[in-house]
Amino acid sequence: MSIQFKSIVELRGMLDEKLISASELTQETLQLATKYQELNCFVTMNKEVATKKASGIIPSDEISSWLEGMPLAQKDLFCTKGLRTTCSSKILADFIPPYTATAVEKLEDAGAITIGKTNMDEFAMGSSNETSFFGNVHNPWKKGYVPGGSSGGSAAAVAAGIVPAATGTDTGGSIRQPAAHCGITGLKPTYGRVSRWGMIAFASSLDQAGPLARTAEDCAILLNSMSGYDLKDTTSLNSDVPDFLANINQPIDGVKIGIIKEFNLGELDSEVQARFEESKRMYEKLGAQFVEVSLPNISASVPTYYSIAPAECSSNLSRFDGVRFGHRAENADDLNDLYIKSRSEGFGDEVKRRILIGTYALSAGYYDAYYKKAQQVRRLIKNDFDHVFQSVDILMTPTSPNTAFKFGSKGTQNPVELYLEDLFTISSNLAGLPAISIPHGQVNSLPAGLQLIGNFLKEDQLLNAAHLFQKNSDFHLSQPNLEDFS
Amino acid sequence: MDQETVRTICYLARLEIDQKKSSKIQKDLETIIELIGGLQTIDTSDIEPLYNPLEMTASTHEDIVNSDNEKEKFLKNAPASNEDYFLVPRVVE
Amino acid sequence: MSWETVIGLETHVQLSTKTKLFSRASTTFGANPNTNVNLVDCGLPGVLPSINKEAFYKAIRLGMAINAQINQTSIFDRKNYFYADLPKGYQITQMDLPIVLGGSIEIFLDGATKKINITRAHLEEDAGKSIHDEYDGFSAIDLNRAGTPLLEIVSEPELSSAKEAVAYMKAMHQLVTYLDVSDGNMAQGSLRCDANVSIRKNGDKELGIRTEIKNINSFKFIEKAINFEIKRQIKVLESGEKVTQETRLYDSVKDETRPMRSKEFANDYRYFPEPDLLPVIISDEEMQKIKDTFPELPRQKELRYQKEYELSAYEAQIIASSKSIANFFESAAKKTKNYALLANWLIGEISAYLNKELMEIHESKLNPDNVSALINRIDDQTISGKIAKSIFEEMCISGSSPDKIIESKGLKQITDDDAIEKIVDEVIVKNTEQVEGYKAGKDKLFGFFVGQVMKVTQGKANPQTVNKILKEKLKK
Repeated sequence: MSIQFKSIVELRGMLDEKLISASELTQETLQLATKYQELNCFVTMNKEVATKKASGIIPSDEISSWLEGMPLAQKDLFCTKGLRTTCSSKILADFIPPYTATAVEKLEDAGAITIGKTNMDEFAMGSSNETSFFGNVHNPWKKGYVPGGSSGGSAAAVAAGIVPAATGTDTGGSIRQPAAHCGITGLKPTYGRVSRWGMIAFASSLDQAGPLARTAEDCAILLNSMSGYDLKDTTSLNSDVPDFLANINQPIDGVKIGIIKEFNLGELDSEVQARFEESKRMYEKLGAQFVEVSLPNISASVPTYYSIAPAECSSNLSRFDGVRFGHRAENADDLNDLYIKSRSEGFGDEVKRRILIGTYALSAGYYDAYYKKAQQVRRLIKNDFDHVFQSVDILMTPTSPNTAFKFGSKGTQNPVELYLEDLFTISSNLAGLPAISIPHGQVNSLPAGLQLIGNFLKEDQLLNAAHLFQKNSDFHLSQPNLEDFS
Repeated sequence: MDQETVRTICYLARLEIDQKKSSKIQKDLETIIELIGGLQTIDTSDIEPLYNPLEMTASTHEDIVNSDNEKEKFLKNAPASNEDYFLVPRVVE
Repeated sequence: MSWETVIGLETHVQLSTKTKLFSRASTTFGANPNTNVNLVDCGLPGVLPSINKEAFYKAIRLGMAINAQINQTSIFDRKNYFYADLPKGYQITQMDLPIVLGGSIEIFLDGATKKINITRAHLEEDAGKSIHDEYDGFSAIDLNRAGTPLLEIVSEPELSSAKEAVAYMKAMHQLVTYLDVSDGNMAQGSLRCDANVSIRKNGDKELGIRTEIKNINSFKFIEKAINFEIKRQIKVLESGEKVTQETRLYDSVKDETRPMRSKEFANDYRYFPEPDLLPVIISDEEMQKIKDTFPELPRQKELRYQKEYELSAYEAQIIASSKSIANFFESAAKKTKNYALLANWLIGEISAYLNKELMEIHESKLNPDNVSALINRIDDQTISGKIAKSIFEEMCISGSSPDKIIESKGLKQITDDDAIEKIVDEVIVKNTEQVEGYKAGKDKLFGFFVGQVMKVTQGKANPQTVNKILKEKLKK
């Protein structure tokens, strides 16, 4: 029985009914990864360790946990002990971490098997997975098209049915947008819900780890294991983690959903609008009520983000200096030369651009005008959200104004072109709010995603709404053709 | 953005830009700065900056050692080291 | 041309916590290179800082001792720059909201006190150490020190001479050791000082251009470095030139300061709030607890010693100036009533011994029980002061109690009048020539008789009794 395209829930059933063993499941997963290697989803495979762990799982008659024996892919931004971790960058091309990220450790402790590390935009900077040192990832739905980014490899691996789920990280939309472009489900939790220990930092006040999977239900399963307070991360929430599956089937009668006026959805591509309207009708059928809301400062999200994220990353990436780990240039004249050569050789252009912008935004004379100003506008944006969540439960937007595009067709002349694609996702990172993207049809034969944004700590509400949508539709069941890739 | 500023921020970031790419990078930077400069029009008087979305305070740890000597592990990862130290090109003070 | 010196000092105090400021690696001094380093200290990708609250408590104690304003909410900032011993490429420090603001410290010089105001004190993490001369062509980096908590204390530029600067550092040393905030060891680097020195014409209101002198690690070098710099700057200004604002290193071998190479390029540190650390709040309860467990400070001790133990101001000051000596005194004073004699011994014999051996009192074999017992034996005349000195020497070597030593060596003072009288009689009988000489007017011979009695008694005769009896027997 083929395991390709099966969800965690389905695979759990197969394992529990002994239709397949953990070993067989892991082996078939690894074979699928090899079969579809042209997608370029994976940077490093974990064949030996995964095989060994799987063979150690003996089927018993006891009730097993959801994730026992479940093969997962981990975004190559999470440190994994003994397993190469590169952030898809030359500067970490040979880096083998001596420790494992908390989020991954929790999944592995729950029984999951890491079968490999997925390709991504270098250091999570990008929206198309075109900045990786290891080459572009293909969108499984169309060869030569981007899967979205920065968690492009994870999204493609799930969309191609190689793994039922994968981890990703989201700083400005890097889980949700690739999920949308690849026709799968991706969740960014509340900031602080998942520990950032071991997650190689891009922008500390915006980064959050989360699941990509075939269904909202599967996302809930992963989130249950990934979440929780971590002493090693002072920015992690010391809040109880609810069981995200508990209320997932709750009816949503009377739930108020807000449409954001300032997003001017009427100006979007007509097909994108059409999908959105159809989804709106679906939710109305399920009992939700729609309200127009105003977030007056939301159009400032993109410039705000592109002041803050580069600033934080310019500092976070200073540790990549060739001294204690990572790429070190040869023939350096002195220490400064070592830094300059190692970093210039090791980082790609987009990373360099962002470090330079960040350095500029923090520098003397510009700090108040750029960095501080942006953090002030950030508070205005958050205040807007706090205000609307007093009258609505959820906000709904398309995940992205457009669907996947051809390699090299956006942002090469003008990087800002690509930045503006993050319009709908970025504000939830600024405010630290949870948001989910679910597939809701196609536009020009490419997947389109629907985004739900929730209030602080309300992932269960989002998962509930997403799950009901999926119970009453079959967009999440669509599978790409993949004949161009095998 | 003048050449001098680009040179300064490149040095602060310890990056050097390829001669061939330098005018494109400069143009890119100017475009991005124009984007983020758009925030100037927003009135933020009396608004406290929001540096982290969590409005809470930090947890702290006890003053008790819980780390072991992991010298070998760290030095092994280093591009240049001997059995005791990380090594870099000699710095003259 | 008459010049005025203006000095401000930046003191880095290494806090005596067991673990680092943002990690739980050990801070023990002298460990093998790179063995007190964990993932966080090494600045590996993906690591995050966590906060050691004990460092805050120590900083607050110091702030309270200098009557400063304490900020109960602490925010940290990043100071960004590249250097081999700075693993993350930034230092976590406090820029806008330091934990301590204002306050003042009293310095003592030539019998006078002067109040020096403090601008601020903040917490920050220390960098690692670079060794430049040991490996051919390479600098070696040791990260043991990276992450150790520092309290950087900035004084107002109110010191006007090298001697005042030394007095300030001595006062700082006393304060931090007294408060158990730091072990204040300049040679080991737990107390460091950077001096900002400038010159201006006498009477000028504006400050001259200042230079910063780094790498001074003893009180002696503070004085020398600053004096050299003052002379140098005066020479520059008198020749019509301007002083260059720069950082200079003090070379203790050549006794000169010279510009520091790596600081040649002005650095823009791009401070911004540390996004990996949320604000730390010290509660009112915690503040109260620190107040309640506040140790007595040197000044208060001095006054108390004068009252309670009736010590002179001089004695009180000397004993109170060292926490270990003061503690020793107070413990010993519980077991003897002769405080004056105890003080005398501490300031005299005991201090001389400790100085000679370069030891702290707690490193020696002396303890309050033994010393107080020694004082008591002198006080009750079991032994003479002279014998006590030899017993003391033995105590220092073996750590034995005075009673044991007196017992084993039979050193009990002979005080019995009859016993001494007997011996005096013997001496007189044996030395009739000298007796006649003395009675004839040679007064100096008295010492001879004392000496003879001491010889017979092996020094154990009570000197006062000997004198009394001899005088009587030799009455002319």
